[in-house]
Amino acid sequence: MELTRRDRRVVTLVWLGSIIVLWEVLAAVLLFLIQDNMASSKLPFPHDVLITFVGEWRSLLTAGFVTLSRAGLGFAIGGMIGVTLAVVMSLSKIAEKIAFPYLIVSQMIPVLGLAPIIFNIVRDMNMSRIVIAAYITFFPVAVNMLSGFKSVEDEKKELMRSIAANRVDIYLKLMFPYSLPYLFTGLKIAAPMAVTASILVDMLGSKSGIGVRILYSLYSSSFDIFWASVFTSAFMGILSYNIVIFAERLFIPWKNVASKKVGAK
Amino acid sequence: MKREKIMRVFWPIGFGIAFLLLWEFGIFHDLLNLKPFQLPIPSEIAITLFENYEQAFSDMLITVTGALIGLVIGSFIGFCIAVVATIFPKWGFGGMILVTALNAVPIVALSPIMNLWFTTGMFQKIGVVTVVCMAAMAINAYYGMNDLKPFSLDLMHSSAASRWHIFKKLRLPNSLPNVFTALRINIASAIIAAIISEYFATSTAGLGFGIKDNLRKAEMAMGWSYIVVASIAGVTLYLFIVLVERDVIKWHASQR
Repeated sequence: MELTRRDRRVVTLVWLGSIIVLWEVLAAVLLFLIQDNMASSKLPFPHDVLITFVGEWRSLLTAGFVTLSRAGLGFAIGGMIGVTLAVVMSLSKIAEKIAFPYLIVSQMIPVLGLAPIIFNIVRDMNMSRIVIAAYITFFPVAVNMLSGFKSVEDEKKELMRSIAANRVDIYLKLMFPYSLPYLFTGLKIAAPMAVTASILVDMLGSKSGIGVRILYSLYSSSFDIFWASVFTSAFMGILSYNIVIFAERLFIPWKNVASKKVGAK
Repeated sequence: MKREKIMRVFWPIGFGIAFLLLWEFGIFHDLLNLKPFQLPIPSEIAITLFENYEQAFSDMLITVTGALIGLVIGSFIGFCIAVVATIFPKWGFGGMILVTALNAVPIVALSPIMNLWFTTGMFQKIGVVTVVCMAAMAINAYYGMNDLKPFSLDLMHSSAASRWHIFKKLRLPNSLPNVFTALRINIASAIIAAIISEYFATSTAGLGFGIKDNLRKAEMAMGWSYIVVASIAGVTLYLFIVLVERDVIKWHASQR
């Protein structure tokens, strides 16, 4: 596809614009044609939501930051545990045999269902936000990092050994750089999930955070704030994903070059 | 060789049993400073599940039904989005960027909106699951339809194949492995989404409601047995998809 950067930007903006326009039209239809008296709660005008957001931005962003920062802390801890486990599994066959089946099964079970139970055990909202976000980050990171380690060709390892590199060197100079793309695949999966987990804990009975704003405004029927909070949390998810992509570009500069070459074929 | 196979099974199962035993005899409780009523022991969970299995099973059916209906609708819409985006490459690409953004939206934020739109718990569930499954399917199917081997497209062009022909004979089969990847992702996230939507919905049945309600009543063992049921349902459905996948795409390298 011969799309320039500028083309892409234009196309995306047109899409975004037309969706907003469509939304405005639908909201107007709901309000004036169907005369649904719940119209402002079911589908408010986007510009109303924007006005509410501008008016309330300070409190919304504060609440969002509380949620996002705990999610980020849990994400970092879970990511580190996941990488550590992957290293242990790549070093010891027995550890891999023990842990790998459980990692696979963990992808099939609804882990977030545990959130209320963990919240009930820990009883501290910051702690349980971090624990659940870490827990949910851990699995995809460990699985992807291990498949990254496994994708390193034996010839490369043998070359390292032939120049008498020790284990630490092999990991630092060969295994880690080589499996970075895999690590980031795992992180990209995990980042929005960590934010989801953190918001879920908010809603289960915290005192602060964006999830609390969503629930309280819903109960008190202040739907303009409700929609502004929902949008804030949606942006938080998208932001977390984009932070990981940004970090990926920073840490794997060679990947971009490679993909450009493929595109130029 | 045989020994190797036995060890492959022995290690994880042995670890699992050791884990359960440590849990059963309260080692975790001592380590984490927990009381038995906070973290019920496995035997208690098993007994509770055995005594209430009818209730748990009917709740599971409700959640799984909602999850599966949403999965089918959402995956179908997602696939259609991918097809349209492939037919109109320039404009479709921008649409895919927005779908990717949708994929990062937290599920939890969706469920209160669905509460406003639909009045019954079942439709809320289906609504949330539909949106969640749509994005993953659209992204994967789009990737599968467009990540072609360069020469294969040239070959089609050289034999003057029409666009419809290219789509039917090349893009569609090429996307199948990715479609199944998306289905596998979706089956897990559909159940999670259904459960989460039940946490906040007006529904009075389903696994999510059961978990929340039992925790509120401080019936921790019952809450845990719901988690067990949800996990069993998740693993079963996942294995079902894997079996179908094995049958449908026998020709693909990943199955050999």
